[in-house]
Amino acid sequence: MKLHFSRKMLCIPYAVFLVFFVIIPMLVILFYAFTDKELHLSFSNFIRFFSDPTKLSTIVYSLVIALITTVACLLIAYPVAYILARSKIKKKYVIVLLFVTPMWINFVLRVNAIRELFNLLSAQRGMEWLAGSNYFKTVFGMVYDFLPFMVLPLYTTLLKIDQSLYEASADLGAGAFTTFTRVTIPLSMPGIMSGVTMVFLPSMTNYVVSDMLGNAKVTIVGKFIYEYFGTDWHMGSMVALVLLVVVFLSTWLSGGFKAEDTVRGANL
Amino acid sequence: MKRGLSIALAAAFLFPTLTTLGGCARTKGAITLRVYNWEEYIDEGGEGSYVYDMLAEEGGEPDEADAPSIIDDFEAWYEETYGEAVHVEYATFGTNEDMYNELQLGNSYDLICPSDYMIMKLAAEDRLEKYDEEFFDKSVEENYYVRNVSPFILEKFQTNGGLATRDCLWSDYAAGYMWGTTGFVYNPQYVSESDLDELGWHAFTDARYKGKITAKDNVRDTYFAALGVAYEDELLALDPAADNYQTELTRIFNATDEETVANVYPILLDIKKNIYSFETDTGKADLVNGNIWLNYAWSGDAVYALNLAESGEDEDGDKTASVLLDYYVPKAGTNLWFDGWVMPKGANKKAAQAFVNFLSKPENAIRNSYYIGYTSVIAGENNEMLDYAKYLYEAEEDAEDTVEYDLSYFFFGDDVSILADRTQATRRQLYAQFPSAEAISHCAVMDYYRDEANVRINELWSRVKAETLDAWAIIVICVTVVAIALFIVFVKFGGKIDFFRRKPKEGYVLVKQVDADKPQDDA
Repeated sequence: MKLHFSRKMLCIPYAVFLVFFVIIPMLVILFYAFTDKELHLSFSNFIRFFSDPTKLSTIVYSLVIALITTVACLLIAYPVAYILARSKIKKKYVIVLLFVTPMWINFVLRVNAIRELFNLLSAQRGMEWLAGSNYFKTVFGMVYDFLPFMVLPLYTTLLKIDQSLYEASADLGAGAFTTFTRVTIPLSMPGIMSGVTMVFLPSMTNYVVSDMLGNAKVTIVGKFIYEYFGTDWHMGSMVALVLLVVVFLSTWLSGGFKAEDTVRGANL
Repeated sequence: MKRGLSIALAAAFLFPTLTTLGGCARTKGAITLRVYNWEEYIDEGGEGSYVYDMLAEEGGEPDEADAPSIIDDFEAWYEETYGEAVHVEYATFGTNEDMYNELQLGNSYDLICPSDYMIMKLAAEDRLEKYDEEFFDKSVEENYYVRNVSPFILEKFQTNGGLATRDCLWSDYAAGYMWGTTGFVYNPQYVSESDLDELGWHAFTDARYKGKITAKDNVRDTYFAALGVAYEDELLALDPAADNYQTELTRIFNATDEETVANVYPILLDIKKNIYSFETDTGKADLVNGNIWLNYAWSGDAVYALNLAESGEDEDGDKTASVLLDYYVPKAGTNLWFDGWVMPKGANKKAAQAFVNFLSKPENAIRNSYYIGYTSVIAGENNEMLDYAKYLYEAEEDAEDTVEYDLSYFFFGDDVSILADRTQATRRQLYAQFPSAEAISHCAVMDYYRDEANVRINELWSRVKAETLDAWAIIVICVTVVAIALFIVFVKFGGKIDFFRRKPKEGYVLVKQVDADKPQDDA
């Protein structure tokens, strides 16, 4: 058989990647979640998970932390992206770049820097309440860390909105506020959605932030999985599986699977 | 263009091949020794190593190359001694559990350095090779381990540290590397020794240290500490002179039955409320910059922290204030731990045992101990380690307030001691690095958790670390989440169901919605 090169063959590397690094690992997780120590089929992990208030609580706590982080990111990022996208200044990309540059610096370093900053504030500037408020510090760190992921998609979608639509809206008698709620927000929905997915999901599992800023007294589901994998892979897999389902459901509900709607990342 | 591409491709394929060929040529015929050790747990040479600093002290201007790592030296020594080349593949791990997972995944090594309880677990699971009988033959020149190891350590390894389980003896499967105790590193500016004497393990739950003390972010050490808090009175009530003192002490510190776990749970919650953080390696920095006053630490880390704080430099060499820290061991008893070298099944025993022997040469043990701050198990045939301790800690002859610090339990000979400053002997580096005989007599070794206890303690730990909501709160939240989800589903798909479709106002006609993003044909 003669091998013909076709464009489809360019997919092969990705298909191989997909099989080895996405599908097989998921099957392994599924396998471990529903087996016991002797690798026999068992639902004990499943039952133990859903009958243990601690595990359900951790999921709830992670959801709440992720939700607050996402809302905070959105509230900060939207005005910034809006102003940037509509401003007339030249070389806007320099400002956008400033938002993105922190992403180029190692993330552990940045979190460490924030930790030191908080230490400084609480020890030497009289803000002692900071030392104990681990949840606040965790959310702060996550917002700081994931802000660029929110700004970028919002900026690109807002930039794409045709100026003439605003004019049309004004022509039809809509005020600035109505234009914003009836034109800008609906048209930037894809950007909001992709920003939300990119912030919400990682902030449920990013336990580096909760360990370093929350002094490891804040436990989110990512840390939970990590700790179980030290001693009990089966339970760890079960927690990971439940998280996977939660993530899948929330992505599905927010319409993240509709390809044409999402704008991921930006073309800088 | 095409040609350029193909040349580039060819070069890309060739280059790695060439380098591998080169690599093969260098180690051709060499045996490989795969060593798996803790991070920063061996002399890596260069600045900060013993050889380098000694050269610098003698007034020379040493080069990094003048102070090779122990591993380089081992490769040279092995070839010289056994006439065959060896190549060491050195890898590191962060926790015993990480290491165990690596083994579980099928990675093979020749030599690993787990802690006491992990040695027992691995031995019980029949994953380890025994050391050869020859390894313990003192008449062989190269058997540095058996000739130099401290009698104290040898005795502990032959009795599994006094634990009740003796089915697999450590001494069959492991050779010691480093050892120490756990205790509090504290800042005497804020914490007085007499307060600690009074509180003991209860420092963890005492209100005066609220937000100023840390616990370890791993279940073993923190559970051990919580046992100390829970059973402090019983521990203090034990008679150290009694025959069964060690057995009782070890039993209390290794209790994992349901009743004990239930007793310890509220104490762990108290500890969590009282501490500043669960930490793995931030304690030292927090202590030096004044965030916390007490840090529960391993003695080796304690020595390192004491040195660092005293030197007035931080870990990156930047100037900070010089702080004198102290080390405290609770009177009720504490943990005695060991890290030892074991050989997994299928290991290259000859090279692995040679590596252990090489590390056990007194001069190499000193180098490692100097580099990492931990205490080596090696005493030295002629008490070479004692000379090193004297070099570090011996007081001037005319110094005031000195004590004879007795270390006979560790070294060879009956009456071995160091003339040391009283502070050194009671709460500073010397006391941390070579615990007093008194402190050692109150120490218990940790056993590994068996299956059921393992599950019980993991569940306990997750209940401590994570917040638990009341059942009704979970139900309310779950119902809300489901409601929101249903609402979104309605909004999204409602339009497709006739019933939900908005009727156009009178006089208007519903036109097909226009997607703003897509260019329209009629535009």
